[in-house]
Order: sequence, then C-alpha cells, then structure tokens
Amino acid sequence: MTNLEKVLKNKPKTWIINSIFTLIVLIAVIFSFKGSSINMLRFNSIGITIRIMVTQMADLNIDFLFGRGVYSFQEGVVFLTLETLAIGFLGTLIGAILALPFSFIAAKNVVGSKFAKIGETILVIIRVFPEVVLALVIVKGFGMNALTGVLTIGIHSIGMLGKLFSEAIDNMDKGPLEALDAVGANTYQKIRYGIIPQIAADLSSVTLYRLDINVRSATVLGIVGAGGLGSSMILAAENSNWDILGTIMLAIIIMVLIVDAISSHLRAKLV
Amino acid sequence: MTKFTLKSGSSITKPFNKVWIILGVLLILIVTFSFFIRFEPSLINLSELGVILEKMFTPKGERTWGDYFGFVFTLWEPLVSTLEMSLAGTIIGSLMAVPVAILAAKNIFKSKFVYLPIRFFMNLIRTIPAMILAVVAVYFVGIGVLSGLIAITLFTFGIMSKMLYEVIETVDMSPFEALESSGATKTQAFRYAVFPQIFPVFLSYLIYIFEINVRASAVLGYVGAGGIGMVIKDNILYNYDRVGATVILLFFVILAVQFMSNYLRGKLQ
Repeated sequence: MTNLEKVLKNKPKTWIINSIFTLIVLIAVIFSFKGSSINMLRFNSIGITIRIMVTQMADLNIDFLFGRGVYSFQEGVVFLTLETLAIGFLGTLIGAILALPFSFIAAKNVVGSKFAKIGETILVIIRVFPEVVLALVIVKGFGMNALTGVLTIGIHSIGMLGKLFSEAIDNMDKGPLEALDAVGANTYQKIRYGIIPQIAADLSSVTLYRLDINVRSATVLGIVGAGGLGSSMILAAENSNWDILGTIMLAIIIMVLIVDAISSHLRAKLV
Repeated sequence: MTKFTLKSGSSITKPFNKVWIILGVLLILIVTFSFFIRFEPSLINLSELGVILEKMFTPKGERTWGDYFGFVFTLWEPLVSTLEMSLAGTIIGSLMAVPVAILAAKNIFKSKFVYLPIRFFMNLIRTIPAMILAVVAVYFVGIGVLSGLIAITLFTFGIMSKMLYEVIETVDMSPFEALESSGATKTQAFRYAVFPQIFPVFLSYLIYIFEINVRASAVLGYVGAGGIGMVIKDNILYNYDRVGATVILLFFVILAVQFMSNYLRGKLQ
C-alpha cells in the first residue's frame, strides 16, 4: 500500500453522520406531506383551470388598468400601484428615521455592551411580529386606508433597520472622533464631520435595500385593509377574476422590477 | 460656491455638496407620494387602539385566565403544520433552486443566452408575493397545508436561486480550472472544486430562509393555506382574546426559531 492510499483510507468517515442527518430531514419532509389534504375535485380539473387562468390573465383588463369606464380612477391599477409605492416609500422613510435612535441604543461603542443588549432585545421584539398581525391591530386605530399601511411598514422596519444600522455604527472608526476632539470640535461638529461621513453610505445602502423589501410587502398588506393593491388582488383571486388578477400581477412585476433596479443601481454606486 | 485664496496665491473652490441634490429629490418624492396617502381624520380613532390591545390580551367575557392560556394548548396541531410546511417548503424549494442557480451563474455557463433568460425567470418568480402564490395554490388544491407548502416552496425557490447564483459567481475558479486541466470532467470538477466552497454558505442560507418562512407561513393561513394563520383568521371577528393568545405563542415560536437560526449559522461560519 502506498502512502497515498493510506491517507485516502484514513479519511474521516463523515458520510455516516451526513447520511443519518439527511435521512432525518427526509423523514421530516415526507411526514409533512402526510397531514396535507388535497381537494380532489379541484386537483382533477387542474389542467383546465390553468388553461382558463392563463388565457384570462393574458387578456388584460384595460379599463381596470387605467381606472376608466365602470371603474373610478381611484380603483384603477395605476392609482393603486402608485399608492402601494407611496406606502413602501413613506413607510421606509418613517422606519429609517425611527430606527436611528434605536440603533444608537443598540450600538456597543455608543452606550456600552450592557445597554446595547437591552437595545438589541427591543429590536428583536419589534422584528418578531409579522407585518400582517401588526396591521390587524393598527387598522383598528387608523382605519382602512393607506395611512395604516405606512405606519405598519414604518414600525415593522424599525426592527431590521435598527439592527443593521447599529452594526454600521459598531464598525465605525473612532480615530476621526479623537482627532476632532484634539482640535477642539464641539458635539455638533463631531457628529457632522466625525460620524455622519462614516455611516451615511452604509445607512443609505441598508435603507435602499429595505425599500426594495417594503414595496414588496406593501402589495399584500391590503389584505387586512391597509391600502394599496392588496385588497383588489385578494378579491380578484378569491372570485377567480383572472383578468383583473393578471392586470394587477403585471403591475406588481413591473413596479418591483423597477424599484429593484433603481435600488441596486444606487446601492452599487454607494459602495 | 465659496472660494478660498491661500497665502501662496493659489485658490481652492469648495465643491458643490451633492447632498442638497439628494435631499431635494427626496423632498419631491415625499411630497408627491403624500398625495396618495389620503389623511382622513374621521377614520382615526386612537382610543380604539387601546381597546383592541386590551381585548387581545385579557380574557373575553366569562372566560378566565386559565381559558386564555388553555387555548394555547389547543394550537399544537396548527403550530406543527406551520413548522412542517416551512421546513418541507424550505428544503424542496432550496433543492429546486440549485440547478437553476448553477445555470444562472456567469462563471459556469459563459453564454449570455443561458444565464439572462434564467435570471429573468427568477426575478419574475421573486416578484410574486408569497400570499398571492398561496391564494392561487388554494384555488388549485383546496384549503389546507398543501397550498401553504406549494407557496412556501416557490417563494423559497425565488430567494434561494438568487442568493445562490450570487455566491457561485464569487467562487474561486482556479481549483476548478486546475481539475479540468488535469483531466476531470466538468461534473467532477464542480463536485470537488466548487461544491465545497458553496455548501456551507448554502446551508447557512437554508437556515436563514427557514427563519423567514416560519414568519411568512404563520400568516399564510389568513388566505386558507393552513397553519396558525387560519386560527387568527377564524377568531379575528369575535374572539380577540384568542387572537392575542395565538400572537403570544407565535411570538415565542418565532423568537425560538430566530435564536436557533442565529446559533446554527454562527456555528457554520
């Protein structure tokens, strides 16, 4: 036996553990299918349903798109899409502004590691609640309109933005601050020339990324009455108005692709 | 623009700060978008917020605190199905994403005609919200866990394929070329040069997406896709206390999943 073969034989036997682990996961996956029932009546007609759906979806409802004819302008897809965009944009802005104080509380180099733990915990708690649940509560206080959507997205964004902001602040270099101290800068000057130039790019990049996510989630918040495309979309899907659903989906796809392109273009410029 | 003249005679002009342009654009966007948010004071009733929170977190009418927390124990079944559909959806969706991500990576398939259409298709799937996937799935296979599973699978596929192809593109290709030049086939070279580099990242993403999916699947039931969300939907009109109890349970479950996910991902790095 050559030396090479010996080494090959002594290779750690990781495949045993790996296959056991794979088997456990596989069983879990199969098990999860056990509890799932299937409506055979609908399942059998799946081919026909898909054909009807696709042909009707492709047949866009132009009146509905521009809010003409039987639809008022405020029911039209163009208006609702802009409203969704507005919810995502203003929600992100509010979220970013509200996240700033939280992120300073959660940053280790600002308040010390003990207080930072408290700030982090607050952010985790905010992050945990799903948006739809949050919207269900807020809608009671602010009514069924877009304002609810803006507030929901704003509050929900605090959690994620606060965490990423605090990481950016943690990574800050203390050197410039000490240098400003040495030349006798006051607090405002320290923040303006020592902190802002360091974190502005990171913060904007994170916020732009969040804008991308928020515009996506603004499209579904309408399900619980928080404005935007969601309510018409869910209504169309439940009543199988595929032409309306197709029109809405087209609008969502175009909107998300544009926001995605702008957001990633600006982020690439920032880095 | 301010101009500084130095003692030596040369002068410096302070460059125009671009921040003002950015702030201007931002202001225009804020004003424009504000037109779409109709502010109707008649709809706002802040006292309702307190009322609903009280209704959610105290037992309703005749019920005692024992009933309030007792309800949590009846949620075992929907909770398990929520977790199951997230797990199965994450794994199936991620596995489906692997071949597509490889096709979309610029460094493996160098032809534009392969990766551009695939990327477009991926972006298309990613734009459809999980909630809508669930609604359409419910239409196809009926109310239940299976619709949620289908929605989560497609949703996972969308995120995973994008994240994965970006990882594959950052892979160090020199081992791959070394193996190919020593006579390995493309498959062998991929298995021994690229796979070890992306597998830990893949697992880490898998755990992260599982975390996202638990959060998403918890509310998918709202449109009939099974799990905890259906309990919320069933009780939202009359039994706010039950919604509250469900939300509390959901809070701890998501928190636990988040901690587990952070711990496992920390170990992988």
